[in-house]
Amino acid sequence: MSPTLLVGTRKGLFVLSSDEARQDWKVSDPLLKGWEVFHAVPDSRDGSVYAATNSFVYGATVHRSEDRGETWTRAEELGLPEDTGLTLEKTWHVRPGREGEDGRLWLGGAPGVLFRSDDSGKTWEAVQSLVGHETRDKWNPGAGGMCCHSIQLDPDEPNRMYAAISAAGTFRTEDGGESWEPANTGVAADFFPDNPFPEVGQCVHKLLVHPARPERLWQQNHCGVYRSDDHGRNWERLEGNGLPSGFGFPIMMDPSDPDTAFVIPEEGAENRVTPDARLGVYRTRDGGESWELLEGGLPEPAWVAVLRESSSSDDGGVYFGTQSGSVFASRNGGESWTEAATHLPPILSVEAADWR
Amino acid sequence: MLAAEVGGKRRFEVEAETVGSALRSLPIANLVFDERGQLRQLVNVYVDGVDVRELEGMETALTGSEEIRLVAAIAGGSL
Repeated sequence: MSPTLLVGTRKGLFVLSSDEARQDWKVSDPLLKGWEVFHAVPDSRDGSVYAATNSFVYGATVHRSEDRGETWTRAEELGLPEDTGLTLEKTWHVRPGREGEDGRLWLGGAPGVLFRSDDSGKTWEAVQSLVGHETRDKWNPGAGGMCCHSIQLDPDEPNRMYAAISAAGTFRTEDGGESWEPANTGVAADFFPDNPFPEVGQCVHKLLVHPARPERLWQQNHCGVYRSDDHGRNWERLEGNGLPSGFGFPIMMDPSDPDTAFVIPEEGAENRVTPDARLGVYRTRDGGESWELLEGGLPEPAWVAVLRESSSSDDGGVYFGTQSGSVFASRNGGESWTEAATHLPPILSVEAADWR
Repeated sequence: MLAAEVGGKRRFEVEAETVGSALRSLPIANLVFDERGQLRQLVNVYVDGVDVRELEGMETALTGSEEIRLVAAIAGGSL
């Protein structure tokens, strides 16, 4: 395996490549210059790469490359129907469909919208069942806009998937996107003091489904870290047992161990920076019962922020990128870290790719 | 950025009756116009050096061999 990282930044996409040791990294020149790359992801079905791209001049779109970033094409049709009363603000997250679903992709964006493509990203159709969800009037934008930032496919059940929107919460479909059910039971919305456990309105920051145990979901939220063991029907809050703060954005998993997860806490909603100048990755190996600080090789003091899409993991590694333009990589489950890149533009996303 | 979207090409020759129809015939039309077909706020359009806002906007008639320029507005400061 030749680990590759797709690093989306405020000013273009960078490709980091290394060898099995993940010690020395080569950093490409910027691709998609001028575009804010909110997320870039490889499509294992055909080797192409998709990027959710935004420009303050030219709007929100999706780019696709079939030659590892040498050349790019752009979505031809992407927008919201006029009768929704909504217009597309940003694209946030691209999720390739399953094996056998040739050409299918999912795209999350703002304001709280999900799209589907069946032609490899040329044209996109809004998923009306979620865009026009009956609870939409109870959704509110977070600081980054009302973004649909997490799209997770159940690896076993082809009609089950999840979408997470800040601040609307998590939604699950069991029928391939025809209908969506809120999946927020047990997830706090402490910013609603009169009703801290509403049906919707939770500020989920990042949602992941474990590939080897798909009933297990992990969630980093504005109000805590959570785990579900029943497809998101019920959630258990997990901090207060080693974490300095329940607030943070990214969450990572070990694809081979459903009990292991990693978070990077921040001081809190009003000061979004690593607590006590300690850039640390906190790991649980017991399903969130306890957390331990991993700091080997990470700088201190460091007042750092890591955005929701700026972390990733694969079978051998854990990775994250900072708003201050550094990428850190670990090849041993977070025990020690190497600074794989520095002085990049502010990092918006990190995605591990297995490019052979 | 616009040129990069079309393989580096910076100039197109098109036949059209209005500025809007000329721009909509370009392969970068969906960057210049939003999903409602409106010219994006930070894209400036000049016809022979005159801002189309001082003319008839996208309805400005083309009668000869005018040169249309697309220029991103001066903006930013927070990025």
